[in-house]
Amino acid sequence: MAVRAQFENSNEVGVFATLTNAYAIVAVGASENFYSVFEAELQDVIPICHATIAGTRIVGRLTAGNKKGLLVPTTTTDQELQHLRNSIPDAVKIQRIEERLSALGNVICCNDHVALVHPDIERETEEIIADVLGVEVFRQTIADNVLTGSYMALSNQGGIVHPKTSIQDQDELSSLLQVPLVAGSVNRGSAVVGAGMVVNDWMAVTGLDTTATELSVVESVFRLGEGNGPSAINTTHKDAMVESFY
Amino acid sequence: MRIETCYFCSAPVYPSKGITFVRNDARAFRFCKSKCHKNFKMKRNPRKLAWTKSFRRAHGKELTVDSTLQFAARRNVPTRYNRELIQTTLKAMSRVSEIRARRERAFYRARMRGNKERQRAEDRKLVEENQHLLPPSERSEVQKEEEDMEVDVEKVKEKVARRRKEIEMEEEELDSEVEELPKIKSKRKLKMKVGGGVEEMEVDE
Repeated sequence: MAVRAQFENSNEVGVFATLTNAYAIVAVGASENFYSVFEAELQDVIPICHATIAGTRIVGRLTAGNKKGLLVPTTTTDQELQHLRNSIPDAVKIQRIEERLSALGNVICCNDHVALVHPDIERETEEIIADVLGVEVFRQTIADNVLTGSYMALSNQGGIVHPKTSIQDQDELSSLLQVPLVAGSVNRGSAVVGAGMVVNDWMAVTGLDTTATELSVVESVFRLGEGNGPSAINTTHKDAMVESFY
Repeated sequence: MRIETCYFCSAPVYPSKGITFVRNDARAFRFCKSKCHKNFKMKRNPRKLAWTKSFRRAHGKELTVDSTLQFAARRNVPTRYNRELIQTTLKAMSRVSEIRARRERAFYRARMRGNKERQRAEDRKLVEENQHLLPPSERSEVQKEEEDMEVDVEKVKEKVARRRKEIEMEEEELDSEVEELPKIKSKRKLKMKVGGGVEEMEVDE
């Protein structure tokens, strides 16, 4: 299920939210409208958490996570870290990373199996990512952009990359990730697909400006809306859910 | 709210206090007072200034390796809130600080042990070496010297007699020798030549 939403007149949904198969983190806003969009889709399925990181609302760009773990930057305060720990299931590991590149959402792009990271990320950070998120880590660029997390939206089903990614690059990335990739845009032609949308295995949220064509591309590549809604959790996604809540 | 420690002197810096410097590699330095900030700007090494905690640690003046010091650390992995855990933690905090205070005292005592004896020995040495500054009645060395003289009187007498004999012999020899010509005193100087080499020259005075 792909839905359109807006955070206080901004279409960049991926900036203000993080969505994974085990939890969702949503920024604290003036109104609950943005939160309600997530609540409508995910209530009683996965916990949704209101949070700030280092006192800011750009939680989606500062954090990176999948169903096994969550990474937060070194600027996160102790209270915020504690709040996340209390709101997110115990099975999810949370760790604060001492990394110079503190916008982890921009430099890390991951699903439950693979992560593509900024080429300049520190060696120790790479190890922590592999450890906490339980993924294989690759240093990559997407269409010559080092910010992998900004220019790529990834789930276990598929991924969207920067619209100007060459076919060779797409093939390379796709063979690395073992999921189909397409070059596409969101929010009426925005190239920053990672920051423009959030996605997990059964839902995607994009900006309100996203055109019908863009939305159909999103739905097809992430295989949403073919009986993959929250109702399917008890049937097809049962294994994944049982695993993540165990 | 976290109570940071000063980068320079390790004093606690409470929220709204001090100043923070963020270097362009995103490293933040917190300073408790302008003194620390200024010293940092002068590129001084806190390990070389005796008033900082890092100096004291580096020079073995403070407890550094201890299990009680490992509680106060920034942790990157949070633990879920648990009322019992918090309660026991609160209890433990006071207990730990108590234990630490005791260990610090013990460490200080161990560090200062033997200082009194060492100081006394040094004082003794000083007095011994500077006997001449004391009034004669206070000297401890006088007695010793007199004893030595008494012991050596016979030996000294023998020595003196031997020396006298030698002198007499020498005088006899001198009388027999022919008088030498008086020497002309002249100073000699060495002069550097232009082409290289050295030339000797005499200077009359």
